[in-house]
Amino acid sequence: MTTRREFLGYAAALLGACRRSRSETIPAGSAELGPLEPELNIYNWSDYISPGVVPGFEKEFGVRVTYDTYESSEELVAKLQAGAAGYDLVVPTTYAVTALVESGLLAKLSPSYLGNLSNIAPLFRGLAHDPENAYTVPWQWGMTGIAWRSDHIADAPESWSVYLNRALAGKMTMLDDERDVIGAFLRYRGHSLNSVDPAELAGAKRDAILAKANLKAYLSAPVKGQLIAGDVWLAQLWNGDAAQARKEQPALSWMLPEEGSSLWIDSLVVPKAAPHPRAAHEFINYTLRPDIAAAIATATGYGSPNQGAMSLIENPVPYPGPDELARLEIQKDLGRAAEAWDRIWTEIKTA
Amino acid sequence: MAIAGLVYLLLHLPVLVLVVFSVNASRYSVSWSGFTLEWYRALLTRADLWRGLRASLIVGVTSTIVATCFGTLIALALARRRFPGRRWLEGLVFLPLVTPEILVGISLLVLFVLIGIPLGLGTITIAHIAFNISFVVVVVRARLAGMDQHLEEAALILGADELTAFRTVTLPALWPGIVAGALLAFTMSFDDYVITSLVSGAGSSTLPVVVYGMVRRTVEPTVNAISTIILLGTTLLIYGADRLLRPR
Amino acid sequence: MTIRRRMLGMIGRRPGLGVASLLLPGGLWLVLFFVVPMLLMLGASVMPRGTYGGVEPGLTLEHYRRFLDPLYLQVLWRTIAWSGVATVVCLLLGLPVAWVIAASRRHRSLLLFLVVLPFWTSFLVRTFAMIFLLRDSGVINSVLLGLGVIREPIALLYTPFAVLSGLVYGLLPFMVLPIYASLEKLDPALLEAAEVLGARPAARFFRVTLPLALPGMIAGSLLVFVPAMGSFLTSDLLGGAKQVMIGNLVQNQFTTARNWPFGSAASFAVMAVVLVAVMLSLRLRDRDPGERVRR
Repeated sequence: MTTRREFLGYAAALLGACRRSRSETIPAGSAELGPLEPELNIYNWSDYISPGVVPGFEKEFGVRVTYDTYESSEELVAKLQAGAAGYDLVVPTTYAVTALVESGLLAKLSPSYLGNLSNIAPLFRGLAHDPENAYTVPWQWGMTGIAWRSDHIADAPESWSVYLNRALAGKMTMLDDERDVIGAFLRYRGHSLNSVDPAELAGAKRDAILAKANLKAYLSAPVKGQLIAGDVWLAQLWNGDAAQARKEQPALSWMLPEEGSSLWIDSLVVPKAAPHPRAAHEFINYTLRPDIAAAIATATGYGSPNQGAMSLIENPVPYPGPDELARLEIQKDLGRAAEAWDRIWTEIKTA
Repeated sequence: MAIAGLVYLLLHLPVLVLVVFSVNASRYSVSWSGFTLEWYRALLTRADLWRGLRASLIVGVTSTIVATCFGTLIALALARRRFPGRRWLEGLVFLPLVTPEILVGISLLVLFVLIGIPLGLGTITIAHIAFNISFVVVVVRARLAGMDQHLEEAALILGADELTAFRTVTLPALWPGIVAGALLAFTMSFDDYVITSLVSGAGSSTLPVVVYGMVRRTVEPTVNAISTIILLGTTLLIYGADRLLRPR
Repeated sequence: MTIRRRMLGMIGRRPGLGVASLLLPGGLWLVLFFVVPMLLMLGASVMPRGTYGGVEPGLTLEHYRRFLDPLYLQVLWRTIAWSGVATVVCLLLGLPVAWVIAASRRHRSLLLFLVVLPFWTSFLVRTFAMIFLLRDSGVINSVLLGLGVIREPIALLYTPFAVLSGLVYGLLPFMVLPIYASLEKLDPALLEAAEVLGARPAARFFRVTLPLALPGMIAGSLLVFVPAMGSFLTSDLLGGAKQVMIGNLVQNQFTTARNWPFGSAASFAVMAVVLVAVMLSLRLRDRDPGERVRR
């Protein structure tokens, strides 16, 4: 006579067996992976690759690639946490990596298949979100700073305090992102942009609300069009986007504020439920080739962490020097403090 | 009459802007830089856009047909039958419309994972049918609310069975409401982003999912180009259908 | 009267088109793919939040209690206000349009199609087209500057006006289509009869057209108000993200705040409010003379 618990146990095992029998490959996370699968499913940010990379990979390896796109690391995290499977490669930002690792959703990489890993500059290895380089391979990196129209603003801005300057009221924007806005004002007061201290956060909130009166809007990527047109003279923006916009508006400059800002890295990771882990690793290794990495960086306009590619890129985004590095911080996942940050963001927005 | 004309004008002003910028040479659509068809040419190489369009059409047509059938039946039950909890059911039908899309998307995703349905066009269609039923019910119900039942009753009294009465009397009278509901349902399905992106699987991106990225980062004129093509396509389609269905 | 009622009663009991079979397919679908997921999230809303997302085992009402904070109630109230204004504007603009469509015989399908056509482009693309129109260097300002009507660009974008325009623009067909569906069966003979009997145009409108359009107006208002309550992208894109609506709040909970239970709780609170509004409106519609006769 089976007890109910035993029955549930059998049912779960049966269900698990059914699911497992669908994939015949060795699961991701093992040191040794199986043979190369004929398919690969990539889930990446939109506009984040050079058009020739995927067809080149398909031809060389005989793998059929499905390429889907998303718009936000957070939505990616939510989708994976809800259980969505089927993707072999995803590209989360630094703080999202932590959330995924802590939720047990990522597989450890199998380094034996990533021979080109040495091409990654040491600067981008061993960072806070993946200290042992067990889960991630950097894809692109960038910095958050201030882009401004040098033909409209005579004195170059140097500090986040420019947002408290009434003279530019109505012509400035900040990113529509709580980490970037609150983080900027935390740095302004000399604190870490990962701070969870209530007093520090309260100070940042005060500043942010004061600054809001001077803002035209909170705009993320779409601000480029307005910067080019001259509707906006100063915007919190990533260096890659500023470089792209400068092609159509040469009077655009970008700078890193003296109090510091965030260094972000988007990384390739392999979900634990990846159906084609071997193909995923081969793709990662493929994109680590200097020429491929150079093509990607040229197309996206962002920084390439691949030092072998730097010489192949025309006008590459230079690596941050020691002086800049001293002012840069990586955004970490806030853990339980996410609730407090969210409340502050809501208060800023309703002010 | 004048207000209606003004509204039509204002409705189509952004559309006009769309079409104009699809032939504008400026990449950031800031100002007029000259006429060009390069964005349309670029479309030919964007296989992802065409795949997205195909996916959107498959999901849209399927979910519209199913949702319209289901929704009309529910509306009929709500209007023509008395049963306990009828008022509550009518209110509950509105719930999918007010539920934040991300909640619907996440909850459906969790359900699909629990049951073990693989994510793909099928799950997207299931989700779209679910919220489209509500749209159809509301529109058809409004139509039924003012409809005169006497003709149906007359048909029944004259000996027609219920199905015939429905087919020959109720349905033709209800038809404009059904069409309106179907149009609405298709529109909602075609345009949906949040729910679709959450319940889609690898390789099943619909057009809004493909386009969202292009547009959020920078409004590429290629997007304007494909939007213009969709507009022209649907115009021709509807015109053709209207011509075919017009009583001679 | 009794014979008729008896016959109607018989119809209800006939097999085939009984209540069950009418409700079954759609109802089953909604139960499985809406009610069940919602119950799952209802369960989540009373569980503690997981540190990195999702939920942890346990039971708590803290999320509902948290929603009663004045900060969040203010967000709710603001959303209701915006949705209400958008609904009223849609009514004022949608009624004439629906009337024109219903009144026209020859061009009806064309006019109907023209109302829906803008919505077969992507919502985002439409919104960005509006940005092109409204921004400081946009089409409207350029035209006004060129004509000499103004000296400096007017701030049209990132204002409440822009947000309202965006909401109305996006929701207008939801008003027009149901009203049209109601008005379409308006028999012109009724209006002619009223005219012959001496009613003036205003009276004809208020006592013949409007009551017949009422179910459609109510349906349209609900179809505008309800989605408006859940919208947030319009406020972000056209309002410059300077305000937060309930939609933004919920979106944030499932993304940056990693607080699924609070997001669910906030959603259910809003749904409860809207359900009340819907039930009241339906009661209003059912008091319509057309329905009363059937009772």
